[in-house]
Amino acid sequence: MDPITFSIIRHRLYRVVEEAVITLKHVSGSAITNEGHDLMVSLYEADGTLLLGGVGFLHHLTSAAEACKSIIRRFEGDVHEGDLFLLNDPFTAALHTSDIYLVSPIHYKGELIAWSACFVHVYDIGAMNPGGFAPEAQDVFSEGFSSPGLKLVDRGNLRQDVWDTLLNMVRGPEMVALDLRSMIACNNVAKDRMISLVEKYGLPTFQETCKTLVAQSEVQLRERLREFPDGSWESRQYFDVKGEVYKVLLKMTKKDDELIFDFTGSSPQSKYSVNCTKWASLGGLFAPLFPLLCYDITWNEGVIRPITVIAPEGSIVNCTKPSPVSVATVGAIQSVNNAACTTIGKMLASHEKYDDQTSAVWHANHFAVFMFGKNQKGGDAIGILTETFAGSGGARTFADGVDIGGEIPNPISRMANVETVEAMFPVRYLFRRRLQDSGGGGEFRGGTGGELALVPHDAPDGGLHYVLSGKGSQFPQSEGLAGGNPGAINDYVWVHSPESDHGHNCFSQSLSSIPGEKEAISWGVFPLMGKDALYVRWNGGGGVGDPLDREPASVVIDVINEVISPEAAREIFGVEIQGEKIDAAKTEKLRKSIREERLLSKGGK
Amino acid sequence: MSDGAKTYLVATDVGGTCTDTVVFAVGEPVILGKALSTPPDFAHGVLDSIKSAADQMNLTVEELLARTSLFVHGSTVVDNAILTRDGANVGLLTTEGFEDTLLVTRGGYGRWAGLTEERMKNMVKTDRAAPLVERNLIAGIPERSDYKGAIIRELDEEATRAAIKRLIGEGVDAIAISFLWSFYNQKNELRAQELVKEIDPSIYTSISSHIAPTPGEYERTSTTVINAYAGDIARNYIENLADLLQKNRYAGPVMIMQGYGGLLLASEAADRAIGMLECGPAAGVIGSKALGELLNQKDVIATDMGGTTFKVSVIQGGQIEYAREPMIDRFHYTQPKIEVVSIGAGGGSIVWIEEGTNIPRVGPRSAGSRPGPVCYGLGGDEPTLTDVFMLIGYMDPNIFLGGSMSLDKEAARKVFDTKIAKPLGLSVEEAAYGIFRIATAQITDLIREITVERGLDPRDFVMHAFGGSCGMVSSTFGAELGVKKIVIPYTASVNCAFGLISADIVHEYSVVKTLPMPASLSEFPPLFEPMKEKALKALADEGFTGDKVILDWSVDLRYSRQVHEVTTPLKANLPLTDEGLERLSNDFETLYERKYGKGSAFREAGIEMTQFRLTARGLMSHPDMSPSPTSGEDSSKAVVGRREIFVEARSAMVESDIYDFTLLKTGNLILGPAVIHTPITTIVVQDKQRAVMDEYRNIVIELG
Amino acid sequence: MSTRQSRTLIIENGSTCCAECKKAIAPAGTSWKSGAALSRTKVIDIPGSTSSTHPDVEIRHFSCPACGALLDSETALPEDPFLDDILTNK
Repeated sequence: MDPITFSIIRHRLYRVVEEAVITLKHVSGSAITNEGHDLMVSLYEADGTLLLGGVGFLHHLTSAAEACKSIIRRFEGDVHEGDLFLLNDPFTAALHTSDIYLVSPIHYKGELIAWSACFVHVYDIGAMNPGGFAPEAQDVFSEGFSSPGLKLVDRGNLRQDVWDTLLNMVRGPEMVALDLRSMIACNNVAKDRMISLVEKYGLPTFQETCKTLVAQSEVQLRERLREFPDGSWESRQYFDVKGEVYKVLLKMTKKDDELIFDFTGSSPQSKYSVNCTKWASLGGLFAPLFPLLCYDITWNEGVIRPITVIAPEGSIVNCTKPSPVSVATVGAIQSVNNAACTTIGKMLASHEKYDDQTSAVWHANHFAVFMFGKNQKGGDAIGILTETFAGSGGARTFADGVDIGGEIPNPISRMANVETVEAMFPVRYLFRRRLQDSGGGGEFRGGTGGELALVPHDAPDGGLHYVLSGKGSQFPQSEGLAGGNPGAINDYVWVHSPESDHGHNCFSQSLSSIPGEKEAISWGVFPLMGKDALYVRWNGGGGVGDPLDREPASVVIDVINEVISPEAAREIFGVEIQGEKIDAAKTEKLRKSIREERLLSKGGK
Repeated sequence: MSDGAKTYLVATDVGGTCTDTVVFAVGEPVILGKALSTPPDFAHGVLDSIKSAADQMNLTVEELLARTSLFVHGSTVVDNAILTRDGANVGLLTTEGFEDTLLVTRGGYGRWAGLTEERMKNMVKTDRAAPLVERNLIAGIPERSDYKGAIIRELDEEATRAAIKRLIGEGVDAIAISFLWSFYNQKNELRAQELVKEIDPSIYTSISSHIAPTPGEYERTSTTVINAYAGDIARNYIENLADLLQKNRYAGPVMIMQGYGGLLLASEAADRAIGMLECGPAAGVIGSKALGELLNQKDVIATDMGGTTFKVSVIQGGQIEYAREPMIDRFHYTQPKIEVVSIGAGGGSIVWIEEGTNIPRVGPRSAGSRPGPVCYGLGGDEPTLTDVFMLIGYMDPNIFLGGSMSLDKEAARKVFDTKIAKPLGLSVEEAAYGIFRIATAQITDLIREITVERGLDPRDFVMHAFGGSCGMVSSTFGAELGVKKIVIPYTASVNCAFGLISADIVHEYSVVKTLPMPASLSEFPPLFEPMKEKALKALADEGFTGDKVILDWSVDLRYSRQVHEVTTPLKANLPLTDEGLERLSNDFETLYERKYGKGSAFREAGIEMTQFRLTARGLMSHPDMSPSPTSGEDSSKAVVGRREIFVEARSAMVESDIYDFTLLKTGNLILGPAVIHTPITTIVVQDKQRAVMDEYRNIVIELG
Repeated sequence: MSTRQSRTLIIENGSTCCAECKKAIAPAGTSWKSGAALSRTKVIDIPGSTSSTHPDVEIRHFSCPACGALLDSETALPEDPFLDDILTNK
């Protein structure tokens, strides 16, 4: 088609998504949407083909597409101009119940021409634990309201009975109402803009542009895949919940211009809510694939076509109903994500041209801490600690990972200021900083994670409680690449003291100096009351290359900046430091001896 | 010119490329001066620019300045210091436990903010900018205030002294101090500052509760650090400028433009480097606002297209928009700053073909002025928008910049054919129209996006078009947006300098406090009175009293549990009554729904006030532009030729009249399609559009 | 004539070789790790780990048996097999 018109319409489609995202953030006004950027808006062709995915939480691009398609199937013959559908059932298309999809058909002169879809993580969904993550849930039935598709707006009229029923099932109904209103407004903007676009350029040109856009992405990805040698690459992720260990195994096979992701061998589904439905696994797989392999390709169905996924039914990556799944998005989905990041990274590294697009695993493990209780003004407060969106960067082949630098599946997230949190919740931070020795060692080290400690402060009820869905404090998950070490592991410590004291005057600067008994925790509901403290540390990114190849000068700077310890400098990087200087002779000797040790322990299976 | 009593206003704006001067005296034509900027020693360019204006008046610089009563100045010096990393060696004192706050930029925020969506998508290639303070020069200080501003841990003076001495030992020459919650309670920051002064009075200090007293420790700290980093440079610059002017016989006050669009006396501006950031574009918006006031236009989209960027700002109901999350070179800061949004689309923007899709693209890379567009013949071998403008007949190769430079059309055609037209399988003309359409569509998309973001409809607006390239594209994107009319001002090429002489002295004050709505009326006087007292004293010291003083009060409000705050003008009289408070609350709700859309209001949660602001204005005397009488519609005397130009609506080259701006008279009417060449720029009037030269020699395009 | 397999390995004359010293490690198109030197480090012993760390999880370092260049690492429980990365053709 005419490349000029195509270029103009493509640019405009991106702006349609952008304007819809702005609307979503504006109307919602919530911290998780505005700070965490925990949202997504995308456009679809009339048959549900993903046309354009925006820069939001990328886990959702494929499952929102499935939401569209399943609405098309379910409501065949009953889709009208001005309708709006809601879907949040994880076994139909969604990732977990609290990420609600609102899907809107777009009509032009009476003809269905496209769809728009968006999601936000709603304030609450009526699960047994507040905030959406339900670590105590036994099955999906205790994870709140869930719908495989319902009509929320019928020909432009809000169905009040449905609306009231929905809001009757959640905590903070006024907050959930605002979330839903924001998504309605977002879809309306997308619809308006799409219609004026079609008005200007005509339906045939619009449709041709859509077909071309999707076809082009497919051609581009296939051409890229053909550049790599055929082969297969494997990765493995471990994580634990309450002492039970789970595995996600992935073998990625590249043949000609196709990729097969095979999860055979992964653990059976869990009794805990960390499971993925197959839609969640698909989302977890594509989230890194878009930015890593398609950084310069439009994110749409064309990118999905060359990809095949095998996920055995009944496994942790394709669980069966009624397995609980509310923690999926920070549970097994992340392992899928990390495993895919590793295999894609290995493939990229197999070609000189893509060497500098290669990355070790970023922020591999969210730490969802949902605080709830009365705030210092006596009002209700539920909210996530947004540090989980702060993440850590994986190392690259040309630079270290970005310290506390974000995560791959959510390219533009951020965390709230300490002052923002202290104003909204009756808590006080003792510290929030980079975590020493958390970035995986390598020629280029992983970006550090962080650590923080909270105590109650001015709480009318003496403190708060929090829901902790913190799986995975036993295994590193941010894998390194080309010899680099994985990043350090998340950990959660409840420091408790039996006596109740509202005037917490602790200013400790490390976990070890916070007075009280320390108990490692990871899963369930815990108090932050009286003299309790909560300590959280989060994972760093993986390293790239041999730590012994790291410039000693860079190691010294890291030690001076307290990003790595002198002990790590010696043991991992083989660098001996005297004062603030390298001891060159000792370093050389040490590195030589570490290399020799590697050879002594002759391997084999 | 011999009238010794005549006094002048002189405004000089130092931009990245040019230094512009405007000289104004009542009853005389405005004189425009231009010279190249001369970084890092900007003073030469300033003198050159004043001289270029003085030459036109047959005066020497000394003669002109001796008769000048007011000198107003804006400069890019602080931006330049940061962009070129030419500032001080800064140390930072911050609350113990939060030493990394500045460096980790609220997570990925500092990694992706300021990037285009395209660059954000390639995450592996994204990084933070190298920080202005190294980690080893950041010292955690034992001290702590809580969310109410209560000091719950006293400043450990011994530890503070030790930290200061260590930093000085490491060679810092400026120290920034930023503690948690200090905007509620300055005490610990002030004491730490005293300790620095005790130990070494030569160290430049900057404290967050003074420079940026607002919530949000990352942005506040970053602001304080930027101020410390450029503090000495700004101070020296302003002092040197004052000296230079004095040596050239200037005896009046020197006023410095601030990023929020107001002026400060040089002595005060010298302590707030941060205030000078992006003051040039801010002055441009003030210029647009002044023009709007002159033409009775309250709702204006101000656009500016130069060599590398396209800039937009919005004036609504005569009010200027302030940026929520301003950045300089990818560093965040918090400071009232006029919102100016830009994209990489200017005359020098490079036209290229996207690999893999064979789609033509424009920018954001620019050929700048060296090597510049291919047609400049300075070695540029990548086609640019300027080359496209020439290929579609908008630029006359022979009269570029008033004939001071001629352009090589053939070279441009050849390069464009090889690199763009052939790969697209199009003729040179077809490809050139296409690129023009892509560029204008992108600008349309940008403007639509930023108006949507504010809940506005472009059809309610007049558009002002400034800058060297804007006149060629504004009639096209203005028409697509459906704006009422487009004004290409007489002062278009020196708009920022024009803005300088239109500005007032402005002091900004604010107090942070969270109060529920409604609040007890007794809460307000303790917030308002101290600000008022400070403002009146400052203005009186500068010679403003009585009706030369305007106090504008405003309050930031939000719905509880919501993140969006809206600065709402307080229209009621002080002291506040319950009715006044109710009016404030209603105004907030109206503004909120307008900005964030229908259904966004969240009354159920209640309303909170979070910040109280005073904008104190000392009214300056402004140029009194005198209109000239109309000479009738007939513009035929200004026609200097005919040539083929691209007409958007017909997608073809159409032979059209070419006008010489200098021959046009007030009231002259031009029917599109047509081209008007001014000494600095070119204005294209599209098919079916009517352009009129108004009584101030602005070209006004009526869309129809 | 050699081709790249990874950042640390090349394929030359039908073998997967160390990119550093060109030493052949395994026939191309097979699992090469059994031909490499293997050393193991318990994750819990690495600076930066916590007491919650699983006692058995290890990092396996695969090195060139000739020059000692580190070729790859993987995280594993002792009972789990090597992760195989195999190029089948170019």
